[in-house]
Amino acid sequence: MAPKNKIVITVTGFTLVALFWIYWVSVNPIDERAMVKFISVQEILQTEDNERVRIGGVVADGSITLSSTNKLEVAFTLKEGDSFLPVEFIGTRPDLFKNGAEVIVEGLYQEGSFHADILQTKCASRYEGDLRDASSYNLNEIEI
Amino acid sequence: MTPVLGSVSLSLATGFGILSVILLSLYIRSGDYRLFLAGRRMAIIVSALVIIATLLLVKELITSNFDVDYVAHYTSIETPTIYKFTALWAGQSGSLLFWVFILSIYSLIMIFQNRNRYHRMMPWVLCVILTVQLFFLILTNFITNPFEPTNADFVIANGLGLNPLLQNLTMAIHPPVLYLGFVGFTIPFAFTFAALLTNEKGSLWVRSIRRWSLVTWLALSCGIILGGWWAYQELGWGGYWAWDPVENASFMPWLTGTAFLHSIIIQEKKNMLRVWNTILIMLTFALTIFGTFLTRSGVMSSVHSFTESPLGPIFLAFVAIIVTVCAILVFQGLPKMKSDKHIESLTSRESGFLFNNVVFVTMCFAVFWGTIFPVISEAVRGTKITVGPPFFNQVNVPIGLLLLMLTGVGPLLAWRRTSRSNFIKYFSIPVGLALIAAIVFLLFGFRGYVVISLTLSVFVVVAIITEFKRGIQARVNRFGESSFVAFRTMVRKNRSRYGGYFVHLGIVLMFIGFTGQAFNLKKEFGLGINDREHVGDINFELKQLREEERPNHFAWIAELLVTGKDGNSITTLLPEKRIYFHRDPNPDRRQPHSELDIHTTLKGDIYSVFSSIDTDNGIAFFQIMINPLVQFVWYGGYMLVLGTLIALWPSKREKLLT
Repeated sequence: MAPKNKIVITVTGFTLVALFWIYWVSVNPIDERAMVKFISVQEILQTEDNERVRIGGVVADGSITLSSTNKLEVAFTLKEGDSFLPVEFIGTRPDLFKNGAEVIVEGLYQEGSFHADILQTKCASRYEGDLRDASSYNLNEIEI
Repeated sequence: MTPVLGSVSLSLATGFGILSVILLSLYIRSGDYRLFLAGRRMAIIVSALVIIATLLLVKELITSNFDVDYVAHYTSIETPTIYKFTALWAGQSGSLLFWVFILSIYSLIMIFQNRNRYHRMMPWVLCVILTVQLFFLILTNFITNPFEPTNADFVIANGLGLNPLLQNLTMAIHPPVLYLGFVGFTIPFAFTFAALLTNEKGSLWVRSIRRWSLVTWLALSCGIILGGWWAYQELGWGGYWAWDPVENASFMPWLTGTAFLHSIIIQEKKNMLRVWNTILIMLTFALTIFGTFLTRSGVMSSVHSFTESPLGPIFLAFVAIIVTVCAILVFQGLPKMKSDKHIESLTSRESGFLFNNVVFVTMCFAVFWGTIFPVISEAVRGTKITVGPPFFNQVNVPIGLLLLMLTGVGPLLAWRRTSRSNFIKYFSIPVGLALIAAIVFLLFGFRGYVVISLTLSVFVVVAIITEFKRGIQARVNRFGESSFVAFRTMVRKNRSRYGGYFVHLGIVLMFIGFTGQAFNLKKEFGLGINDREHVGDINFELKQLREEERPNHFAWIAELLVTGKDGNSITTLLPEKRIYFHRDPNPDRRQPHSELDIHTTLKGDIYSVFSSIDTDNGIAFFQIMINPLVQFVWYGGYMLVLGTLIALWPSKREKLLT
């Protein structure tokens, strides 16, 4: 066989195998975290199947409660439109997590509560909120 | 006054840009050289005006003129001066201006370098660069003008300030370095485009764009590595790469750019693969614009992205135009670009390069697929899917290992063809030693990808050392030089080749670092004073919790005593929990920030994050990670830079030429 044909066949063969590989990984991920459905709060309140999902929303004002025994444990309400979802999370919270923050949670919905094992905040490359007039600054009590 | 001047400069630049394109087009039609000179002069003015506008914005940032919306949003009075300056690329409109600023500097350098060369190609080259400049100028003029005044009807006492995450020196350097890489590919693209239109043959221009591409590639590589370094040092999740859309956006052009750097060598030396190279550089350029789109449009829900903006459709349209125009041009130019030479054998350096290219492009496609999959899925099936790191790792690890292997195979292959006897001669030692190493790794209890990766690393290192040794030996035998002199002369005489080998060694070091991830440990726990906890066989004891108020934040500092399994003291870690804007009356505006502390050794890092604090009970919560071999990634980075600099250093012959 002419070397040119050999090369054409090898390259084509490799490309086909590679494309099949990429396709195969897309449909058969080894890890359940590889591809996760992103659904709305309303959708999750209606479904019953115990599938790992990802949900985005806003932390409802004043809903953050820290566990009294374990400060790594937090419960809050996720708000999306007019739908509310109670969420529980144990672990290190991102620095930007607070009331009103836009967050993404990933985990399982069980018995009326969402058990998240991933909690991310949308990274604000700038501070939200409006520019403000000169206001007095006081050192109040600090909490996190 | 200054903001008005800035806006006017941008408008004028747009006007002159359009004029310059018209003059250059007229020159291409009529051949009247004066038109070319006038067009080129206008192109210089465009770049100068962009630079002036950028300097004016810098002045506004440094002097804290909060009447400019951008200044008020990204800086505050307390922001240190250096970060007032770096706020230039912190936000959308500033960073778009910064993009065209870098392109303008590149354009001026390019015009000066080639003032007496390539008269046929130059008008086209300038037209391409001007078109790109105009695109960004239109964005900064009409869509997001960085000089936009604030719409508040009161006097703004203070700006919102820069995110503390971005107040870090690495983060200050990372974006401009990355941008130098992104923007730089415009120049080789413009040349390739022009060569296609004017049917320019010869290898002189190929040589000069290879240098451009190499400089650009170096900047892009440094930008990516710095980004990883920053994420590792600042973000507190213990890793340096998360396959975030924005990271992928910089990685894709890097992959095609690396492929281009390899295959352009064949075009320069053998005048082959011209079509392929043309497509590669066009793809790379399109990916840089696509990458800017991913970063700046917010189409992907990514931690870096900005909220909805009208930029998305405009960028996408620009990418579509680039791809369409390039596709038509390549298709039309096909007959002219056909080379009468063919690769002679499957076991030749040429086909080695070709395979490396195919594998690079495959990996780029895999990353591209994973990045846009959520968008496609949403459009086609109506369900939004997020694609996480496990997908990218699973799909790319085998492809990456194949690339690692080629890093060693390629240099061993001879040009044109490798005879059977040479094949055995060159490959027996590296393959033999790699097999022995594989058995040792298996005996040590390593399995799976870890064994493959480490074995291939041994193979590549041995292959490259034998290459060096063979070259040195030849000189020693022929000229009777000492080994050191022979090594030095050999590298000097063929800088790009041996520099390339150093880069390959850097890549091996990085792969060793990546492999270390297989052994990462992670644990979260709370500690009271004098409590202990262990991760693996390393113990952590909380000795003290201190409070400190500093000029722009409040900090809790934990003193963690780290001991080994025999009770031997390893180090004391001092992670901090900080609150920025702690004096703000509204608690929701206060900004917590975790300042990490990392203990670094060659064997691995001990990574500590102060997660949160229970002030009532005096308990501090930590996230501790043990990350073996991470340092190899950074050492690989240094090696990569060193190798590229060796390749870039002008040889004596080139010094004489210029």
